Amino acid sequence: MSDAATLESFRLADSFLPVGTYTVSYGLEQFIQDDRVEDAAGLEALLSTYLRRQVGPAELVALRAAHAAATDGDIDAICRADRRLSAVTLAAEFRESAQQSGDRLLSLQTDLRDETTLDRYAERVDTDETPGNYAVVLGVVTALADVAVREACLLCCHGFVTGLLGAAQRLLSLGHTDAQRILDELQPVMTAVVEESADGAVDAMTPFAPLVDVLAAEHERAERRLFAS
Amino acid sequence: MAADAPHPAFEGYATEAVPQAAVGSPGKDGVLELTFERTAEGTTLVHDYATVPFHISGTLGYDPLPEADTVFIQSPTGGVAQGDRHDVSITVGDEAVAHVSTQSSTKVQSMTCNYAAADTTLSVGAGGHLDYVPEPTILHADSRYLQELTVDLAPGATAVVSDVVVPGRLARGERFEFERYLSRVCGTGPDGLLFEDATHLTPEEEDPTAPGVLGEFTVYGTTFVLAPDHDEARLSDALHAVVTESEARAGATALPNGAGVAVRALGDRAETVQSTLHAAWDHARTELLDAPAPSGRKY
Repeated sequence: MSDAATLESFRLADSFLPVGTYTVSYGLEQFIQDDRVEDAAGLEALLSTYLRRQVGPAELVALRAAHAAATDGDIDAICRADRRLSAVTLAAEFRESAQQSGDRLLSLQTDLRDETTLDRYAERVDTDETPGNYAVVLGVVTALADVAVREACLLCCHGFVTGLLGAAQRLLSLGHTDAQRILDELQPVMTAVVEESADGAVDAMTPFAPLVDVLAAEHERAERRLFAS
Repeated sequence: MAADAPHPAFEGYATEAVPQAAVGSPGKDGVLELTFERTAEGTTLVHDYATVPFHISGTLGYDPLPEADTVFIQSPTGGVAQGDRHDVSITVGDEAVAHVSTQSSTKVQSMTCNYAAADTTLSVGAGGHLDYVPEPTILHADSRYLQELTVDLAPGATAVVSDVVVPGRLARGERFEFERYLSRVCGTGPDGLLFEDATHLTPEEEDPTAPGVLGEFTVYGTTFVLAPDHDEARLSDALHAVVTESEARAGATALPNGAGVAVRALGDRAETVQSTLHAAWDHARTELLDAPAPSGRKY
C-alpha cells in the first residue's frame, strides 16, 4: 500500500475518528448488567463470540462486497450488500447503531473527499434507498483510498474491538493493561475471521449469536443505560 | 460444486453415496403441497398432495377462529434419514386463514453418510394469514441437517413462523453430538427481501455454548411474527413484555424493513421454549386476527 493509503487506514482505525463509537456497546452493557461479563477473561470470551459469530460472517462479508463494488464503481452492488447486511441483522438496536456510525463516517468522508462513487452512494443513503451500514461505508471508503481489502477487514475488526473495550472500561473496572492484553490476545481471532470471511457470499451471510440478540432486546427496554446499543 | 449441494458447507457430504435407498428414490424425496383458499364457509383446503414420508388426514376444525382451517402434517416414518430431501409448499390464498403444524417432533436420525434436507416454501395472499408452527426438530448424534424456509407475503398478508431446535435426545444425555445443522429462514414481500435469519451449528468445530451464542442453554427457538403493515415497534414491545414473564430466557426485537417482530427464546427443555413462544404467538394472533392461538395439545 502507498504511504497515503497506510495513513488513511491509521486515521480510519483510530478511536479519534468521530463516528460515535463511544455511544455503542452492541449489547455489552446488558451482558455486564446481567453479570454475564465480570472480568477481563469473560470480556475476551464474549468479544471472541462477536468476532466469530457476528463481525466475521456478516459485517466482513458485506465490507468485502462493498469494497469490490466500490473499486468497480458499481453503486447498485454496494447498495445490495448494504441492504443484505441490514436484512440479516435482526437486533433492532444493532441496525440503528450501524446506521448511525455509517452515517457519520459517510458525511465525514464526503466532506473530506471529492469522489463521485462516494457522493452517488451518499445520495442513495440520503433518499433511504439503502441503509448506509458502517461496515459497508467503511468498505467503500477504504476501497476509494486504495486500502487493500484484507487490511480494510482487519481495520474493521480492530475498530470494533477497541470500541467495545472503550465501552468496557466505562462499565467494568478494566485497567488499560488488561484492555491492551485483550486486544493483543484477540489478534489470532481477528486474522482467522478475516480469512474465513473471504469465502462468504453476500446472499448467504450467517451471523448467529442468539443470546446476544436476546440481551440486546432486553437492552432496548433497559431503564438506565449509558449506551445506545 | 456437486449438483446436489445447495450450500457450500454441504458440498463434501453431497458426494458421498447413500448405501440404502438412494437419494431421490421413493420414500426419500417426500413432497407435500397444501393450498388453502377463502370460500363461503371460511377457509378450505382446495389442493393437497403428499408423498412418503408425509401424510395428510384432512383438515381439523380446531381453530378458535371459525373461518380458519388446520392441517397437522403426519409422518409414518421414524424421522428424517440420511439422503432424505423433503419439499414442502404451502399456499394460503387471499383472505384465507390457515394453521399448519406437525403431529410430533421431527427426529433427524444419526447419519454415517450424506445429509438430509428440507426445503419449505410458504406463500400468503393479500389479506391472508398463515400460522406455520411445527413441533421441534430433534438432532440425533452424527446427524447433518439443512433446513431452508422461505415465506413470501402479499400486501396485507401476515404470518407466524416458528422454529425450535433441540440439540439431541436430552433425556438420554445426548446433546450437541450432531455434526451440522443449518437452518435458514428468509422473508420476502412485494418489494423483495425483508429479512433473513440463519442458525448454523457445528458443535465439533465451534462451541455452541460459547458466551453470547447459546451460553448455558440447550434448546433454542425463534418465532417470527410477520406483519409488514403493523406498527412493529409497538408489537415488539408488547411481545417482549409477554415473553419476559415466561420461564425461558427470551426477548423480542423489531425485524428489518418493517417486516414485523422476531422473538427468540432459550431454555433447558423444549417445553419451556415452546410455551414461551406459544405465549408470544397467542398475543400476536390476538393482535392480528382478534383470536387466540390454538392450544398446543395434539393428542
